[in-house]
Amino acid sequence: MSKPSELLQGTLDLLILRTLECGPLHGVGISDRIEQVTRGVFLVGPGSLFPALHRLAEKGWIEGEWSEHEGKRRVKTYTLTTSGRAQLTEEKRNWKKVLTAMNRVLAEEV
Amino acid sequence: MSLIPRLQAILTRLLRRDAVEAELDDEVRGFYETIVERHIGQGFSEGEARRLARLQFTPPEQVKEQVRDARTGAALSSLARDVKYSLRTLRKAPAFAVVTILTLALGIAANSAIFSMVSRFVLRAPPVGDPSTLLALHTIHHGECCNNFSWPLFRDLQDQARSFSGIASYYELVPVSMGGKGEPERVWGQAATSNFFDLAQLGMTLGRGFSGDEENLPVVVLGYRLWQHRFGADPAITGKTITLSGRPFTVIGVAPPAFRGLDLILDCQFWVPLGNIDQLLPNTSKHDSRVYHWVTVVGRLRSGVTRTQAAAELDVLAQRFAKAYPESEKDGGFRFESAGSLPPRDRAAVMMFLAALTLVALLVLCIACANVANMYLAQASGRQREMAVRLALGATRGHLLRQMLTESLLLALGGGVLGVALSLWATQALAAFRFPAPVPLDLSLSVDWRVLLYTFGLSIAAGVLFGLAPAWAVARPIIANGLKGGDVLARPGRLWSLRNVLVVSQIAMSLVLLCATGLFLRSLQNASRIDIGFSSSGIFMMSIDPRLNGYSADRTIRFLNQLQQRVTALPGVTSASYTDSVPLSGGHRSDAFHAEGSGSDANVELYMAGPGYFDTIGTPCIAGREFANESPAGPKVAIVNEAFAERLFANQNPIGRRVSGRGVTYQIVGVVKNIKSRFLGEDVRPVLYRSLAQDIAGDPSFTGYSILVRFARDSGSLASAVRREIHSLDPTLAIFNAGTMQEHLRDALFLPRLAGTLFGIFGLLGLLLAAVGLYGVMNHWVSRRTREIGIRLALGAQIGGVQRLVIRQGMLLTLIAVVPGLVGAWAVTKLFTSVLYGVRPHDFATFAIVPLFLAAVAFLACWIPSRRAASAEPLAALRHE
Repeated sequence: MSKPSELLQGTLDLLILRTLECGPLHGVGISDRIEQVTRGVFLVGPGSLFPALHRLAEKGWIEGEWSEHEGKRRVKTYTLTTSGRAQLTEEKRNWKKVLTAMNRVLAEEV
Repeated sequence: MSLIPRLQAILTRLLRRDAVEAELDDEVRGFYETIVERHIGQGFSEGEARRLARLQFTPPEQVKEQVRDARTGAALSSLARDVKYSLRTLRKAPAFAVVTILTLALGIAANSAIFSMVSRFVLRAPPVGDPSTLLALHTIHHGECCNNFSWPLFRDLQDQARSFSGIASYYELVPVSMGGKGEPERVWGQAATSNFFDLAQLGMTLGRGFSGDEENLPVVVLGYRLWQHRFGADPAITGKTITLSGRPFTVIGVAPPAFRGLDLILDCQFWVPLGNIDQLLPNTSKHDSRVYHWVTVVGRLRSGVTRTQAAAELDVLAQRFAKAYPESEKDGGFRFESAGSLPPRDRAAVMMFLAALTLVALLVLCIACANVANMYLAQASGRQREMAVRLALGATRGHLLRQMLTESLLLALGGGVLGVALSLWATQALAAFRFPAPVPLDLSLSVDWRVLLYTFGLSIAAGVLFGLAPAWAVARPIIANGLKGGDVLARPGRLWSLRNVLVVSQIAMSLVLLCATGLFLRSLQNASRIDIGFSSSGIFMMSIDPRLNGYSADRTIRFLNQLQQRVTALPGVTSASYTDSVPLSGGHRSDAFHAEGSGSDANVELYMAGPGYFDTIGTPCIAGREFANESPAGPKVAIVNEAFAERLFANQNPIGRRVSGRGVTYQIVGVVKNIKSRFLGEDVRPVLYRSLAQDIAGDPSFTGYSILVRFARDSGSLASAVRREIHSLDPTLAIFNAGTMQEHLRDALFLPRLAGTLFGIFGLLGLLLAAVGLYGVMNHWVSRRTREIGIRLALGAQIGGVQRLVIRQGMLLTLIAVVPGLVGAWAVTKLFTSVLYGVRPHDFATFAIVPLFLAAVAFLACWIPSRRAASAEPLAALRHE
C-alpha cells in the first residue's frame, strides 16, 4: 500500500463494493451512483470501471449476470456476493484506520 | 480469492474465448449506447451524441484492451495472441522466414557442434555412481605433476589414507587377442584391483563386478559393445568361459553401455582382476619397485569428507612417505581431480583449442544475427504502415516491441530446432576424424542434454540480439510519415543508420573469420607438403601382436621372416618388411643415448626394423647398409638418421662408431635420410633403428608389429592375400590396423585437417552471410533512392555515374569494416600459434590476400544492385512510389 496508484485502486474497489451494497446495478448505474453520491468528486469512466469490475468478479467478490428486458438491450448486472460483503467490511475497517491515521497526521501538522 | 476459481476463469476464457470476447463487447458497447441515448434524450442529434460520448470517455476498444490486461493470466493470453499474430505475419512472408531460419540454423549448428565437444571433453562426468566423490589421483614426482603410482606407494596410500572409503588401482591398457568364433581380434581392456567395481558403483547390464576375493582369479567383465558384437548380446553369457590371449576366463558380468573406463578418453572393452596381468602382459607388473610407476589410481571420498580435507591429508602422507623412503619419494606429493577429467598434461592445450573454436563459432552466429537483423529491419520497414496504423489505433509502443520480439524469438527457436538437426549430422562428421594414436581412443561425440540446453539458450539470446534493435527502431516510427506511406525509419540527417552499422560489423567479423580460415588452409597446405622422408603411396600395412598368443621372441622372429618371404612372393609385391611401429603414429619409444668417443648425449627416438625396411618405405640410405639377416646373438647393430649423426657425431662419418643407451651398445652400420617420427609438425628428431631380430627379446613392443608391403598393383586384392598368408601361418593371430600408408597419413593430418575443415566451413559461411548482408543493404539503398536516381538520369546523368554512386557507397562500407576487421584478426589469430604448421599467425600473404578477396566479393555484392539502379527507366523511376 505504499504506491499512490495502489491506494487509488483500493479506493475504487471500495467505492464499487459499497455502491453494490445497496443493491444490484449495471455498469452505467454504478458510474452514475458514484457520481451522485460523491457529488461529482469521483467520476468513474468505463476505462477504469470495467477493468475493476472484471477484477472484482474474478476475485469472487461480485457476480455479473446478464438480464434481458423485452425490447431493450441486454445488460450485465453486478451483485455483491457473500465473500464480497465480508471483503467490504474488511475494507471499510481499513479505510477508517487510514482515515484516522491521516487525520492525526494532518492535525499534528497544524 | 482461492486459486481454483481463478484457474477456472482462465480456463473458461481460453476455451470459450469467442463467447467471452462477445460478452465483453456487449457490456462495453452497452455502456456507450446508454450514454448516447442519454445525450439524444437531452436533445442532441445521434451524430452529435456519439461525438460527445467519444470525447467524454476512453474509446471502447481501448477499454476492452484494459479489461483484458486486468485479468489474471493476461500475460499468458496476450502471449498466445502475439504468437498467433506472429505466425500469421511470418506466413505472409515465407521467403523471409525461411531465409532467416536457415541463416540462424547454420550459425546455431556451428555452435552446437563445437559445444558438443566441450560437453563431451570438459563437462561430462563418467557414467559411475555419484561421480562427484570419485577422484583420479596422481603423484607429483620431483616437482613434476601427474605420474602414475608405483605399486608400494599405492598400497601405502590404501592402508593409510583415511579420507577415502576406498582406493583402487588399475593398469590402463591391456591388449589381448580374442579367439573363439569368427576371425581373431585384438581387443583392449584394463586390469584392475578387485575393489574397482565397488568403487565405480556401476549399474551393471548383466551379472556383477569383481568381488574382494577374486584378485587372482581368471574372471572377466565384458564391455557392452564387446558383448554385443562378439557374443551376440547373449543374455546367458555370465558363467561362460571365453579365451583372452589363449587363456580361459569366466565371464561374471557385462558393464553398462556408456562405460568404457573411468577416464572417458581410452576405449576399453573388458576388465580383468589385476592379478592376471602377468599372464596377459608379461614383465608389466613390478610389485616391489618404488620407481616403476605403472598403476593408475582412483579413490572414493568418504562421505562427509571434503576435497580440501582430503588434500590436506594427502599432503601429510606425502611428507611421511618422503621421510620413510627418501630415495624414491623425496619431494613427492599427490594431486587429484574428478575422475573423468581431461588428462592433466593435455588439459590446457585442449581447453585452448576448444575456447578458440567456441569463439569462432560465436563469431559465425554473430554474423548470422547481424545478417538476420538487417533482413528483419528491411522487412520491418516494409511494415511501417502497419505499425503506424496500430500505433494510431491505440497500441502502445510496448505492445509493438513485444510483438516484434515474439516474432524474432519464434524465428530464432525455429533456427534452433533446425540447428540441432544440422548439428546431429555435424557431430557425426566430426567423429569421423580419426586421431592418430597407437591405443584405442573413444572420441565419439553426441548431442546430449547439455548441448540441447546450450542451443536453447543460444537461440533465445540470438532472437533477442537480432530482434531487439530492429524492434526498437520499428516501434518508434514517425507516425505522420508512416500513414502517408513514407519511410518511417528514415531519420533525416543520420549518417550512421542502424543497417549500415550492422553491415559494417558483419563484414569486419567475417574478415576475422576469413583470416583464420586463410591461415588454417595455408597450414593444411603446408602440412600436406611436409617432407615426411618416406613415400606415402604404394605401401600397404597390417599389424599383428604374436606376443598375445604366447609367442616367444624366437618364434616371433621366425614368424615375421616367414611372413616376409611369403608376402614378397605374392604377385604385384615389390618388397616387404616389418617394424615395431609405423612412423607418424603419435609417439612410440625414446631414450637417452650416448656416443662413445665424442661425449655427446641426446634423447633419441627408437624403432625396430626388419631386413629391407628402408627399401620398402622408400627412405634412401645415404651411407653404409640396410639391415640384413642379423643374428640375434651377434653384436648389436643400428642404423641412424642424419639428425642423429649430426647431433651425436657433429656430422662426422658415424659408420662403425658405437653408441649406447638403455644399457646396450650398438655399432652403427648405416645412415638414412630423416623422416618424421611422431607428428607431421615436429622438428626433425634423432632416430635410431635397431635390428628387430636382435632387440625383440630384450625390449618387446607393447603395440605389436606391423608388416609393410610395397606393391605395384592395387591394394584391394593384396589386403586379403596378405591376410590369407598370415592366417595360413597361424589362424589364431588377430590382425589390426590394416590400411594403406595414404590412409595412415590422412589420419596423421588429423589436426590440420580438422582445423582446416572447421575453419573452411566457418569462414565460407561468414563470407556468404556478409556478402548477402551487404547485397541486401545496397539493394535496399537502391530501391529507396529510385526516385533520386530517376531524377539524376532524367537530368542527364550517365548510367556509369549512377552505377559508380552505388558501388562507391557499398565499397565505402567495406573499407570502413576492413580496419577493425584486420585489428580483430591480428588479435585472434595469435591464439592459433601452436596449431599452425609452417605458417606464422601473422602470415603476410594471408593478411594481404584475404582483405582483397573480401573486397572482391563485396564488389560483386554491390555490383548486382548497381546494375539494377543503372537499368532504371527514368520515367518509371519517377513514377515509383
